Amino acid sequence: MEIITEFFPVLVFAIVAIIFTLAPIAIAYLIAPRTKGEKTHRIYECGIEPFGSAWIRYSAPYYIYALIFIAFDVDILFLFPAALAYTRGGNIYEFYSLLVFIALLGLAIIYAWGKGVFTWKRKLSQ
Amino acid sequence: MGEGSIHLEKEIIPVKFAALEKLLDLARANSLWPMTFGLACCAIEMMSCAMSRFDLDRFGAGVFRATPRQADLMIVTGTVTKKMAPVLLTLYEQMPSPKWVIAMGNCAISGGPFVFEDQYNIVEGVDLLIPVDVYVPGCPPRPEGLLEGVLKLEEKITGSRRFPAAEVNW
Amino acid sequence: MSNPIDKLSAIALPGLIETDYQTRGYHYCLEATADNILPVVQTFDDEGFYLEDLTCVDREKQLELVYFFFHYDRHKRFKVVVALDPAQPSVPSVSGIYSSAYFLEREVCEFFGVFFAGHKNLTYLFLHDAIDYYPLRKDYPLRKERVAVSAAEKARLNSFAVTESDDSFFVNMGPQHPSTHGVLRIIIKMDGEYILEAEPVLGYLHRMHEKMGENRTYQQFLPNTGRMDYLGAISFNLGYVTAVEKMLGIAPPPRAEHIRIITTELNRIASHLLWVGAYLADLGALTPFLFVFDDREQILDILEAVTGSRLTYCYFRFGGMPDDVDETFAEKTKRFIDRMHNERFSMYEKLITGNPIFISRTKNVGVVTRESARKHGVTGPVLRSCGLPFDMRRVEPYSLYERFNFDIPVGGGNGALDMYRIRIREMEMSLRIIEQALAAMPAGPVMAEKVPKKIKPPAGDIYHTVESPRGELGVYIVSDETDRPYRMHWRVPSYFNLMTFPESARGILLADAVAVLGSLDLVIPEIDR
Repeated sequence: MEIITEFFPVLVFAIVAIIFTLAPIAIAYLIAPRTKGEKTHRIYECGIEPFGSAWIRYSAPYYIYALIFIAFDVDILFLFPAALAYTRGGNIYEFYSLLVFIALLGLAIIYAWGKGVFTWKRKLSQ
Repeated sequence: MGEGSIHLEKEIIPVKFAALEKLLDLARANSLWPMTFGLACCAIEMMSCAMSRFDLDRFGAGVFRATPRQADLMIVTGTVTKKMAPVLLTLYEQMPSPKWVIAMGNCAISGGPFVFEDQYNIVEGVDLLIPVDVYVPGCPPRPEGLLEGVLKLEEKITGSRRFPAAEVNW
Repeated sequence: MSNPIDKLSAIALPGLIETDYQTRGYHYCLEATADNILPVVQTFDDEGFYLEDLTCVDREKQLELVYFFFHYDRHKRFKVVVALDPAQPSVPSVSGIYSSAYFLEREVCEFFGVFFAGHKNLTYLFLHDAIDYYPLRKDYPLRKERVAVSAAEKARLNSFAVTESDDSFFVNMGPQHPSTHGVLRIIIKMDGEYILEAEPVLGYLHRMHEKMGENRTYQQFLPNTGRMDYLGAISFNLGYVTAVEKMLGIAPPPRAEHIRIITTELNRIASHLLWVGAYLADLGALTPFLFVFDDREQILDILEAVTGSRLTYCYFRFGGMPDDVDETFAEKTKRFIDRMHNERFSMYEKLITGNPIFISRTKNVGVVTRESARKHGVTGPVLRSCGLPFDMRRVEPYSLYERFNFDIPVGGGNGALDMYRIRIREMEMSLRIIEQALAAMPAGPVMAEKVPKKIKPPAGDIYHTVESPRGELGVYIVSDETDRPYRMHWRVPSYFNLMTFPESARGILLADAVAVLGSLDLVIPEIDR
């Protein structure tokens, strides 16, 4: 029972988040006038029909950018409960362990920086 | 207008009643988001209108969006040539409803100073392509003219004019 | 220094004659044929000339292809004429020698039907396939029927296709784009974030100015000049009016010349201010845009009081000005100059010039080398960033510019950053010229006496240049003694500056391409005319 009362706010938070995202879509569906022309659902490219295929091999740096983003997103996720737990204690030991945690994450940034992930490598001219 | 290219389906709105429509019209009129569709000289006057002296933003219409997906007002500023006409139509169709069009400048109204016998490249007036709500004449019109055009559009949407009209003291 | 005339005479050209520069605007005229045009053009290239213009005049019995060559240092202009048979006009292409001819020949081909043998891509540039005749030919209504574009011609003109390749995709920096400063479309072939090729597509604002020039009297054409380049409208007014005055031999009174110079320089400052604002908005800095419009409004107030318009001026008349200016003009201008010197320039320095983000985005971006500039016919601040102090106000002084003391700012080859610094310095120079002109302005009439009501210049042609804010503007008018020009052609600076873009854009990032395009200061209506 205690578990349920402890996590009840989380449930409320989840439900409100879902309503918050779906409600404008529903309201717009109910009250907005609709338009359909030939070109309405085409891709926007400054008014011109896009040409050329989009199913090509994209450059590797895009993938690496995305990976780094995911990695640090997960790190932030870990920091949320750490922040919550941080206020409850009073031990200076917690502060040092959090610092070590962040420093280890920072090492990953430095590694990526050194490897040149954050600059687009100039291609050799063909 | 061309056949079969633009077609608005207004009837299937599930929830519609007068008070809601009035509220929505008020909201839409006071937060028009123009699309940057500057073609020629009038575009500079439209930019001047959006800047500090004439400040289109006080009327809610200062958020210029380059993409038609987020805009609801298309201010056609400048001459529409035959090469540009399909692009204009595409962009108009890509704007979501409800949308409005202001034809700014003589070229957008009726071809402007470029109409001569034997002209081969311009469209004499953007209302040959898309429905226009407000016409702002001038070559180029003063920024105050465009402000008046936007206010007139707000009047057209809501039915009443919120700001006093300029007095003419000849 | 070798003499090109000796070399040209060695190619045994019969028609090399020296012309009267004062009334014609060019020093030498020579006739070539389709057979010897290539060695002639090669001679000019070896001597270091640039192809200033390439156009065509339809003389009913023949099509006259006209080339103009000018030299950055020797300041001599050559006109080369090639007469072509209107039924089958064909001439070898010079796009292998001069890169600017790649675009110029496409234009002549679609407007006149001239076939340029050896051109890689003779397809539509400004026009499109709904027009099935050659618009600038005199066929209709003179000869009562239009020569239609044949089906084979149409197929060739329409044959522009992009070459796809693996791992690259196409992005349209399309006609509706906040950073192209008008309706310019660039088809960019990209590999990741790098650009492989960039191809500009023009003609989205082709408003038929040259055709209107043939249909309007000289006075009726005056409003068109302001619409071609709406930011530097007064320079276009000035170019046109001084060209016709040269043809007629009218000299405007000194007071009118001083007022012309003051308003032209004010317009130049307004144009450069808008460029600063728009360029920084492209790079992402939205604050300077608001500040420059404030200064611009001050200039527009001054100019509106004297000309009546805010943007597309039609202020000058043949022989002078329509009306005099009063003392408030001088007072307001002086107040504006003081304000710029005391407050605004230092504010722009603090806000923009030292900003490390701005410097890293513009330093060594879009560098145009001297040789590339010559091959493309580049003029204006873009050319001056290579280190060449080439300004038509010094090279071919017109109006009263010789009396005024001003420097020509040049850059050191640092690309867009230099172009920015040059334009800021040019604004300061313009203020200097305005101060001198205000101090020296004499009293007197503002309109010359004996200006004819019907303007009928003597038969012949003239090529007159002025310095617009973007570079060298050339006005080419052919007169046949009627009150309408027989042919009018405008050599516009943005067109040639744009021609360097496909080369500059190769191999750079897309964000840098936006910086390069903005630094060229393009105004599309003047390119599309």
